[in-house]
Amino acid sequence: MKKRLLCMALLAASTAAFAQGFTPTRPIEVVVHTGPGGGSDLLARAVALMMEKEKLLPVRMQVANKTGGGGAVAAAYLAEKKGETHTIGLFTGVWLTNPLTSAEAKVSLRDLTPVARLVLEPALIAVKADAPYKTLADFVGAAKQKPGELKQSGGSITSRDNVVRQQLQKAGGARWQFISFPGGGERIAALLGGHVNMMVIEPAEAGEHIRAGNMRVLAQVADARLPAFPNVPTLKEAGFNVTPVPQVRGVVAPPGIPRENVAYWEGVFRKLTQTESWKKFLADNQFEDGYQDAAELTKFYEEFSSQMRGILQEAGVKTVR
Amino acid sequence: MKARSADFWSGLALGGLGAYIIAVASGWEYMGQDGPGPGFFPLWYGIVMAALSLMLMVSSVTGKDGSVIDWTGARSAFVTWGAFTLMVATLKLTGFVIGFGALTFFIVSVLYRKPVKVAALTAIGLAAGFYVVFPLALGVQLP
Amino acid sequence: MEVLTGLMHGFGVALQPLNLLWCFLGVVLGTVIGIMPGLGPPATIAMLLPLTFLMNPASAMIMLAGIYYGAKYGGSTTSILLNVPGESASVVTCIDGYQMAKKGRAGAALGMAAIASFVAGTVGVVGLMLVAPPLARLSLAFSSPEYFGLMALGLAMVVLLAGRSMVKALLATLVGLWLAGIGTDLFSQTSRFTFGQMELLSGIDFVVVAIGVFALGEVLANMEERGAAPMIEVPKGLRNLLPTLQDLKDSRFAFVNGSVVGFLIGVLPGAGSTIASFISYGIEKAVSKHPEKFGHGAVEGVAAPEGANNSETGGALVPMLTLGIPGSGTTAVLLAALVLWGFKPGPLFISENPAMFWGLVASMYIGNVMLLILNLPLVPLFAQVLRAPVYVLYPLILGISVVGVFSTSGSLFDVWLLAGCGLLGYLMRKLDFPSAPLILGLVLGGAMERALRQSLMMSDGHLSILVSRPVSAVMLSLALLILLVPSFNKFNTWRLKALDS
Repeated sequence: MKKRLLCMALLAASTAAFAQGFTPTRPIEVVVHTGPGGGSDLLARAVALMMEKEKLLPVRMQVANKTGGGGAVAAAYLAEKKGETHTIGLFTGVWLTNPLTSAEAKVSLRDLTPVARLVLEPALIAVKADAPYKTLADFVGAAKQKPGELKQSGGSITSRDNVVRQQLQKAGGARWQFISFPGGGERIAALLGGHVNMMVIEPAEAGEHIRAGNMRVLAQVADARLPAFPNVPTLKEAGFNVTPVPQVRGVVAPPGIPRENVAYWEGVFRKLTQTESWKKFLADNQFEDGYQDAAELTKFYEEFSSQMRGILQEAGVKTVR
Repeated sequence: MKARSADFWSGLALGGLGAYIIAVASGWEYMGQDGPGPGFFPLWYGIVMAALSLMLMVSSVTGKDGSVIDWTGARSAFVTWGAFTLMVATLKLTGFVIGFGALTFFIVSVLYRKPVKVAALTAIGLAAGFYVVFPLALGVQLP
Repeated sequence: MEVLTGLMHGFGVALQPLNLLWCFLGVVLGTVIGIMPGLGPPATIAMLLPLTFLMNPASAMIMLAGIYYGAKYGGSTTSILLNVPGESASVVTCIDGYQMAKKGRAGAALGMAAIASFVAGTVGVVGLMLVAPPLARLSLAFSSPEYFGLMALGLAMVVLLAGRSMVKALLATLVGLWLAGIGTDLFSQTSRFTFGQMELLSGIDFVVVAIGVFALGEVLANMEERGAAPMIEVPKGLRNLLPTLQDLKDSRFAFVNGSVVGFLIGVLPGAGSTIASFISYGIEKAVSKHPEKFGHGAVEGVAAPEGANNSETGGALVPMLTLGIPGSGTTAVLLAALVLWGFKPGPLFISENPAMFWGLVASMYIGNVMLLILNLPLVPLFAQVLRAPVYVLYPLILGISVVGVFSTSGSLFDVWLLAGCGLLGYLMRKLDFPSAPLILGLVLGGAMERALRQSLMMSDGHLSILVSRPVSAVMLSLALLILLVPSFNKFNTWRLKALDS
């Protein structure tokens, strides 16, 4: 018995020593693909603040903005930093979809080291408050009767906005137009001005317009109801048997880094998602906790890519990979 | 027939660009199911570009103006541009401060034919200035 | 009256000594950033955000807003002195401002920029204060067909920027349109004209082209005559270093033009200060009694665009504060800041947070005054920069251009583009192609194509949507009118000649 305890103690000690294998010694570079003030940039800065507050890292985190190519430049930058132990990147959905549609975006998640998936961004389906649609079924039904006449404002054709549209069109047997606007502000303005009938909007953006009575929410694009919207049905509850394709954000690292390094990153981010600051951050920004570790993220990425490929091809977008 | 003036060559070059644009744009979708495709706009401005270039070429051949371009000083301009481009090419190796210092030295001494001392002083002064103001005082990275 | 009580309340907040200090810090920082090409308000504001958590939100907003409109004041400095646009909105100021500097009137140009900015900036705040909510609602009626009309109107301004050869000006515009289209098409995600280069996927940054064509092109052109003019004249005496009374009189309309145009265009989400300055410049030239002076140092050519890009700040704050919709890059960051501090920007923001709104408005008045007082005395100081011998000045311009471009994107590829655009600018000068239309095409091209395609999608392919809606019909008719004016003039001259003989 004593021998066993000793063995176990030795094992535990050696594992701990092994895990102590990597500790950062200089500031960590966090690569994001947006400019300062953009979504990823703000997330990275928030994460850096939380890491300091919760004392999860012995060093600082510095945000490096590598804009361009819709994420391709940032991904390529990470791929070049092979073996670099003090650099990580924050990826979003575009990093995953770009390689599918752009021949120039050569770096996909497969070429990098996945670390963790952090959040899922839910969305709401909204119409103008004076629209005749009270439920999602109303809207899809109306679209079915007048194919191609109703309009939705959204981002690019590969964005989640259009993915939701493709899925709903298929499930409801209807067809409506998708008009791309480059900025969230313009999309909302188009809806509020009555130039389009519906849009997929983020809860944070929608909150105030709903409170002021200008917008009505028909459904939420999520697996479970968000705490801020307890009375809004999810897609499934609204009668559409559609699994929402998630809009994700997570962490990656350059290729070719040692295993202790990956384990370290995994550990740090796992701990982060368990802190109170993180939970408050999620609640404030209305994100869903979508934590997955590296292995699960790898699996998710493969599933996501094949699902997206199918949806994009149905939407008539040329896929190159 | 008058000698081909510069306008003729510009017209030709732009006409070539226009033709290229038309060729590439025709390969894209002109009108999609929901609306105009990526080829719509480029095709139209490519056509207008080609048409206007033709007009330019024609007017240069038949036209009254025929202003001759004075290319005498151009060599210095091209040399300067060449030096600038060289500096950009070596930025990764030498960094901005050294590269810019070298460029300034070259411009002042070779192009302006100022004495070496003046050139060196200017080069060092400006380069140092950049170093102080940007990365040190403002925290802006230099290439 | 509600507005007066609100304003009194606001001044109560803004005149607190600590807030005055934050306002001052903000506008000074903004001016410095505006002067430095490449460094812009969005980046700086984002970087200062963590600091703002230590302050109370009203003070923080006062400071950040100060940075925003302060930068517009500073942006004209390098445009006028060095032909390097300090901020994308300052490109138009380069056109006449630098010409004035070359003629020894740099001080007048700088001073005029400051005064116009002050007048227009104040008008912008007044607009924000008085008409924000109803204007915001009106602006919602503005959608893609109207945007297309606006862009078409802007492009029609080419006619006024043309100079001698209309054909060449149009060709330059078309090249600008082409450059604007390089990148990933928003609607179909097809890569257009990217030549397999990943960095081109998000298109060519307009600042790179502007700095390359204007600044580098000018330097290269000047390299030809290096023996000739060793220095640019800078007249002595304070009197010559500030705008004269005549200048102010000449610019009377420019002040109005800049203020109104800038504010209205700022209200539209998506239309920015660059478009505002171009249109305001065009209008000024169109109504001028001596349009041939424009492009060669007309003081109104500095007053109008500078005014426009300042009142645009007031305008852009309208949708941000009344609807929670960002009107430009900087307002997007400011919006994010509000959210971070726990506010909920949206239609109910002003009614629920009167102290914040009115405090901000009052501080903007104060800030504009501070900026005028700050900038005017600095004008003679800045003008001295031009006393440096050209062999110091020109390398300086080259250096600033590189640093400016690199600091916006951190990419060496953009510096290469800069070199390419420099050559283009030089060649254009030699071959007598005007460069302003190129920049105009680049600025408007993307937005115009998007607006057209969106409009056609909304109308299911019927072009009639562009004329069936009143606002866009008016704009398109105006554009057509402007395009026809020169031909009309030519016809008139021909007719008169025919009558004489």
